[in-house]
Amino acid sequence: MENQAAPNPDQKAPRVVSPPTLLELASLFAFIGMTSFGGGLTAYIRRLVVSKKQWLTDEEFLPGLGLVQLLPGANVVGLSVYIGNHLRGPIGSIVALTAMIIAPFIMVCVLGFLYFYAGKTTDAGAILAGVTAAACGLMASMVFEAGQKAITGIFDIFLIALTFALVRLGHLHVPYVILIVSPLAIWWHRPRTVDGAKHQEKEEHQ
Amino acid sequence: MIKTLTHLALLFSSLSLSAFGGGKVVLPSMHEAAVGEFHWMTDQQFVDLFSISMAAPGPSMMVVSLIGLKACLHYGVFMAILGAFIATVSMFVPSSILVYFVGKFWDSWEESPWRHSIQQAIMPISTGLILAATVIIAKTSIHTVPTAIMGIVALGLMLFTKINPVLMMAVAGVISWIFLK
Repeated sequence: MENQAAPNPDQKAPRVVSPPTLLELASLFAFIGMTSFGGGLTAYIRRLVVSKKQWLTDEEFLPGLGLVQLLPGANVVGLSVYIGNHLRGPIGSIVALTAMIIAPFIMVCVLGFLYFYAGKTTDAGAILAGVTAAACGLMASMVFEAGQKAITGIFDIFLIALTFALVRLGHLHVPYVILIVSPLAIWWHRPRTVDGAKHQEKEEHQ
Repeated sequence: MIKTLTHLALLFSSLSLSAFGGGKVVLPSMHEAAVGEFHWMTDQQFVDLFSISMAAPGPSMMVVSLIGLKACLHYGVFMAILGAFIATVSMFVPSSILVYFVGKFWDSWEESPWRHSIQQAIMPISTGLILAATVIIAKTSIHTVPTAIMGIVALGLMLFTKINPVLMMAVAGVISWIFLK
């Protein structure tokens, strides 16, 4: 170990650390699972895996982030699969994903049984009233955050309204809503050719 | 019994592949299925379980475990755990398999201009879905003046400060316990 760590002038050393063992991988993702709440997690994972542990470089991490942001599923979950696979292959993916959700799974099950078997006492009801109200505010803040990124023109507002209407008024399930709205949305946001770009410029100047 | 487990597996694996932007965007469908279609729980229970999952550690989609648990609860504790397990696996595995396989082709695709198009196209759809989810939660959780005030304060705190959301929910729980009991 010490020989390895000895400074070598020829080494550019972007990757200082050798790939982690499955156990190390599991313990890091178990830690992430137990300490992760709500959003803003991708920055947290990057700090742990890239800056602190140096298992990945930014050049390896950032494409993975781009990938999981595009695909369905929570970003943390996708990242655990991507990072696990990058470091230890398919088994690494399974280990990282399992390690991350096992403790939260047990914890919510315990809370679920408490909720249903202990029943809603006055105390529990009062606490939950506050927690649900705050959770609602948290969800509303996510609408603002997503909306800020989403709205680049009037058509995006139309897409938001259409999606909302199909779910709430049409009572359609989300997969169908996505199948209906996404062709429209992708068509609108399609890569513009040079010609198209000019058109768009003109539109924007109006 | 088997029927309930099948419903859970089909529901959550299809939602797993639709969760563009995370589990919260498919919340309206979970609500529709759990409360409307299959009558696994009441509106109030759904919102309570959602809040419990938000306040507990783990990825935001853990509410699926609780839905699976409740759907099978009347068959006994063991079945409830099995239900929670099936729901969780169905929600997490399909999207993970997709990440795994698309990851293999990702390098050749990363520079494509379509990537940016699709990313920008997904955003308004997820915004509309999160908005729908928020309305569902609000209809049940905000029913008095104090809860409305707490919801609005929570929104303001999330937008304008860097407060940890779990800390905020915990404080809201304590305040509510003191004043609303």
